Amino acid sequence: METFLAYLNEAPGTVLPGLMFYVLAIVLLYAGVMVITARNPVHSVLFLILAFFNAAGLFLLLGAEFIAMLLVIVYVGAVAVLFLFVVMMLDIDFEQLRKGFVRNLPLGLLAGVVLAAQGIMFAISWSFAEGAKEGKGPTVLSSATNTEQIGQVLYTHYMLPFQVAGLVLLVAMIGAIVLTHRGNTGVKRQKVAAQNSRRPADVLKLNSVNPGEGV
Amino acid sequence: MLSTEVLAVFLPLLGFVLAGALGRRLGAHGAEYLTTALMLTAAALSISLFGTYALDGQHTTITLMSWMSVGPLSVDWALRFDALTAVMLVVVNGVSAMVHLYSIGYMHHDPHRPRFFAYLSLFTFAMLMLVTADNLIQLFFGWEGVGLASYLLINFWYKKPSANAASMKAFLVNRVGDFGFALGIMGIYFAFGTVSFDGIFNQLGIETSFKLFGWTLDAVTLSCLLLFMGAMGKSAQLGLHTWLPDAMEGPTPVSALIHAATMVTAGVFMLCRLSPLFETVPEVLAVVTILGALTAFVAATIGLTQFDIKRVIAYSTMSQLGYMFFAVGVGAYGAAMFHLMTHAFFKALLFLGAGSVIHALSDEQDLRNMGGLWKKIPVTWALMWIGSLALAGVPLFAGYYSKDIILESAWASHSAAGQFAWYMGIAAAFMTAFYSWRLLLMAFHGQPRASAEVMSHVHESPFVMLLPLLVLAVGALGSGAYAYDWFVGEGRFEFWRTTLAVGEHDVIHAAHDVTGWVKHMPTLMGVSGIFLAFIAYLWVPKLPGALVRMFPSLHALFYRKWLFDELYNALCIRPALCLGRVFWQSGDVRLIDGLGPNKFAEATKNAADELHAAQSGYVYHYAFVVVFGLAALLIWLTW
Amino acid sequence: MDLLSLSTLLPEITLTLAALLLLMVGVFMGDRVTNAVTQFAVLALLLVAAALGATMWGVEADFHLTGPQGFVDVSLFTSLIKLMVLITAAGALLLATGYLRREEIYKPEYAVLVLLAVTGMCLMLSASNFLMLYMGLEMQSLCLYVLAAFRRDATRATEAGLKYFVLGALASGLLLYGISLVYGFTGSLSFAEVATALSQDSSRGALVGFGFILVALLFKVSVAPFHMWVPDVYEGAPTPVTAFFSVVPKIAAFGLLMKVCYGPFAPLQDKWLWLLPVLAAITMLWGAIAAIGQTNLKRLLAYSSIGHVGFALMGLAANDPRSVIVYLAFYAVMSLGVFAVLLLMHRDERMLETIDDLAGLSRVHPGLAAAMAILMFSMAGIPPLVGFFTKLYVFVAAVQADLIWLAVIGAVASVVGAYYYLNVIKVMYFDEPVAKYDRFTDGNLTGTVTAMAVLSVAGLLLIAPVVMLAQYAVHLLKP
Repeated sequence: METFLAYLNEAPGTVLPGLMFYVLAIVLLYAGVMVITARNPVHSVLFLILAFFNAAGLFLLLGAEFIAMLLVIVYVGAVAVLFLFVVMMLDIDFEQLRKGFVRNLPLGLLAGVVLAAQGIMFAISWSFAEGAKEGKGPTVLSSATNTEQIGQVLYTHYMLPFQVAGLVLLVAMIGAIVLTHRGNTGVKRQKVAAQNSRRPADVLKLNSVNPGEGV
Repeated sequence: MLSTEVLAVFLPLLGFVLAGALGRRLGAHGAEYLTTALMLTAAALSISLFGTYALDGQHTTITLMSWMSVGPLSVDWALRFDALTAVMLVVVNGVSAMVHLYSIGYMHHDPHRPRFFAYLSLFTFAMLMLVTADNLIQLFFGWEGVGLASYLLINFWYKKPSANAASMKAFLVNRVGDFGFALGIMGIYFAFGTVSFDGIFNQLGIETSFKLFGWTLDAVTLSCLLLFMGAMGKSAQLGLHTWLPDAMEGPTPVSALIHAATMVTAGVFMLCRLSPLFETVPEVLAVVTILGALTAFVAATIGLTQFDIKRVIAYSTMSQLGYMFFAVGVGAYGAAMFHLMTHAFFKALLFLGAGSVIHALSDEQDLRNMGGLWKKIPVTWALMWIGSLALAGVPLFAGYYSKDIILESAWASHSAAGQFAWYMGIAAAFMTAFYSWRLLLMAFHGQPRASAEVMSHVHESPFVMLLPLLVLAVGALGSGAYAYDWFVGEGRFEFWRTTLAVGEHDVIHAAHDVTGWVKHMPTLMGVSGIFLAFIAYLWVPKLPGALVRMFPSLHALFYRKWLFDELYNALCIRPALCLGRVFWQSGDVRLIDGLGPNKFAEATKNAADELHAAQSGYVYHYAFVVVFGLAALLIWLTW
Repeated sequence: MDLLSLSTLLPEITLTLAALLLLMVGVFMGDRVTNAVTQFAVLALLLVAAALGATMWGVEADFHLTGPQGFVDVSLFTSLIKLMVLITAAGALLLATGYLRREEIYKPEYAVLVLLAVTGMCLMLSASNFLMLYMGLEMQSLCLYVLAAFRRDATRATEAGLKYFVLGALASGLLLYGISLVYGFTGSLSFAEVATALSQDSSRGALVGFGFILVALLFKVSVAPFHMWVPDVYEGAPTPVTAFFSVVPKIAAFGLLMKVCYGPFAPLQDKWLWLLPVLAAITMLWGAIAAIGQTNLKRLLAYSSIGHVGFALMGLAANDPRSVIVYLAFYAVMSLGVFAVLLLMHRDERMLETIDDLAGLSRVHPGLAAAMAILMFSMAGIPPLVGFFTKLYVFVAAVQADLIWLAVIGAVASVVGAYYYLNVIKVMYFDEPVAKYDRFTDGNLTGTVTAMAVLSVAGLLLIAPVVMLAQYAVHLLKP
């Protein structure tokens, strides 16, 4: 039975990529742990960015440079920076939140250990179904770069999920607007039509005032 | 459909339904007049039926409808008419009509008369179902029906705790007997495969046996014993008699009707109805004889010492029932029925007379507070004398004929049990005469012991109460001599035909030929008992007290009713209550409720509290539960 | 992409177009057209339902059609579940109008979001590929999060929305992780290929992946212990949204659960048949027990819905999807009826949500109390109301599957559950009345209450055809 690690060792460029994998993986795990344990929330976000970078590195090792770049651009460039702004803008007492963390740590550790043990167990006893490694997706030109390969299938084979993803984004947009948008009632706008349709007769009133009597 | 027979049986039911359902609308007077009129009609019809079925010797069975049909068991609602039924019809409807009439006067203070009359009519109907039954199941229906009516009537003044207790006691003690009776019916069904009388009589001599705990018992013998157990309960025979004296808590007309004339004789009737069957089991008959004789004796001894006027008569009733039973036991069924009939007249007369006395004395029942009443209520006094003379068996009065023939039959049966019964009966006859006159003398003669205020109110009962007394007095006077020939005389075969069994040894025939001293012994005993009573309660008033001081333990034994109540209390009631309490407290409350519904409810509530606590409202708690659940699920899944 | 395969997506396409059209109308015409938009949305839902029903009419039991690139696959089963979703969604939308108007949140987006949520549900039900499944599920979930927080000025509603969102995101993460594990084992996301791969060879990794996917779906169905979000969200969300939540996504998620269990993971049947009875038992008991002592009706109904999910899951645990469909169909009837009663309860323009507000209802509004009593009796499973027969169906299924212990636990849970259903009736009939409610002006609500109460009584006659329909529908699902 082929294990996952054995599969990894067969990857092209045996020594360096293997070494790189371990470095990136260890740093990734470290960064992940630090995200939750760092005292300063800003540090947490920075560790998150570090984790994203390492993950991108792992994707590069797998030869998935397009996804690696997406990760850097979207997650590091947009999401994490947004997080950073939000964390810096919000006045949250993180010490208060941390109190529960320590109290719930034992049980959390228990569940974590159980899940981790199971993860290790299935990882070392991993097996593949017939023809799984070759992939059963749509056929693409294997010589092309993976950016090209994605381009070949995303709008053809994966047309339907792509469209649905569009709908999901639409829903997200509607949701954001519904939940946050408030119509501005206090804004004074120029109403051109109303101005143009004003006639003196409607708005002017002529009074003849006799001298000495006042209005 | 509406033949005389059916009407005679169902008119009381109609009375019950009308008085019970429309009592409020009819009003008290309407209810009592209606039921009484229906009862009188039924009584008149009964007399005409007596002519048809007893005197003309016909017999018929009217099937009304099928009651149940379960597998091989099929039971009909059917009315069986023959001489035995006819006699009972006259007794039941006659006495019941008189009691209805009497009650109009006796109960006129009571606001709940419609209920009372409804119950009376219900009782009568149930009794009629019993006596006209064609099978054991219908008989059992009537049997339970009269038990129910008896319960309701004893407890008529249900606000009195003593009435409550008495009614419950009557019901429970009867239940013991009825349990035996029901088992007996099942045994009979087991043995004969049928419950109809004709079906049973057609297969007499059958050999069937039960296997019980390794014993083999003859099914018929055992069933008959069990049936007799039912009779013991209903007819207050020694052992299951304790309810009868207490039943005097009911209104006096009830005592007269149910606890003297009719219901308590149901046991005797049942044995007579089944006489062909009982003739085949002489062992059971011996038991009946001995128990009847003991009852006659023991009840008479108790009657000597009681002070409550109704209780004295109640013990006298019990004693007389003992006579009837040993008459059955020795095979003199005609004599038993004869005594049943005459006893119904004179005992109802005595009870109603006692009621009249109680009525006159503003509800005073204690003999020690009476005396000197005869001038104030002469009619009642005279009628009580007639009743007592009949009871004591003074010649020419009804009781003389019936009691004598019973005692002679016992003597003539030439069995050990019969001899025993004769001695017991003779002794009881003496005591009967004595306590009857003790009652008469204490109540009517001597100096008035009631307060002057009560005495000033003493008055003769109204005509509506006296009229039934007069009718019954006629019965007490004449029924013995008039019916002697039909019941036990030369015409008895013509009269009873096949309804009553006659053994190989015809005891009634033999009874006519007993030697002279045996013939005169009962009369002698009765007269000497009366004489002694005069000495003790009129001429030498100190004598009773002296006797009590001489035999204190014997008096105590008699006065405390042979300690039956105490015995049952200690043996049955207290252990039963104890057991009940144990089952209730530790069994039901603690074990079943405690671990069952209550525990379950409590556990549910606790669990609910726990779950509420888990529902903290914090997202990370929920997320944690999800993750934990995931871990558990994965373990479960990959096991 | 030929037209026939595209036709499998006709309901979704129609609904999407309707939603987009209504969105545009709403955006440009503002809140004035809310009423028209809502009614049009209801109409669209019902029209699609009618069209779907018409296509189901007369097709063979083994009818199925594969959509573009094999991403979707429709059969009688998916059509029936979709039909139930569409009809109940239309009902729930009808119930909402009065409440939304009173709370001044009557906006076109509500109807649009409901339409989009239903579209998402239809997509995920049609899915025959994990990618598609995820997209559909996410689409409906996003709509639901927004709907839960739709009353954005009420703290409780926003809290509910946020909780739902965070926990839903967790579930989505689990789902994706599970999918990736399954993909790792089989190299494919297609249901058919996953099933083939699993039937040939199974590994622990794939099993763990299945576990993750299962947990995510059970979370959506609200099976204990993955149900913790339900009471808080149900209580906090606006009542018509709760009514929607308690019925529509539940049916959809159950349909998806069945499709996944009998589809790609059919080779693992032994595993999930081994697991689900325990979860069903926990869910039934948790739903029944935790409801005791609740004073808020919405919270009570949340636990009640959890309990009902447990009963429905018992049918699946007994390997009888037919009984699940029957159970859910009539559960939807009762639930919508009860929520309509809840929505009718307002006094001085204020919603009433506690059980005490029902006090003495029988004297001030005897008709409403009678309808509520019928619905409660039916929910408690008391014959001859329909709730009894649906329960009976799952019990019989459990007994036939040799799961007698589960049926016994189900009976115990029903008894415990009867306590709080009967408590509601007791409060209505025996407590002292407080005061009259506001006049019932909403015809939709009174009509729904009447109709659902009548259905609960007449369900006795309707249940046989529904069972027949369900029998047809599961023909292909469980060969």
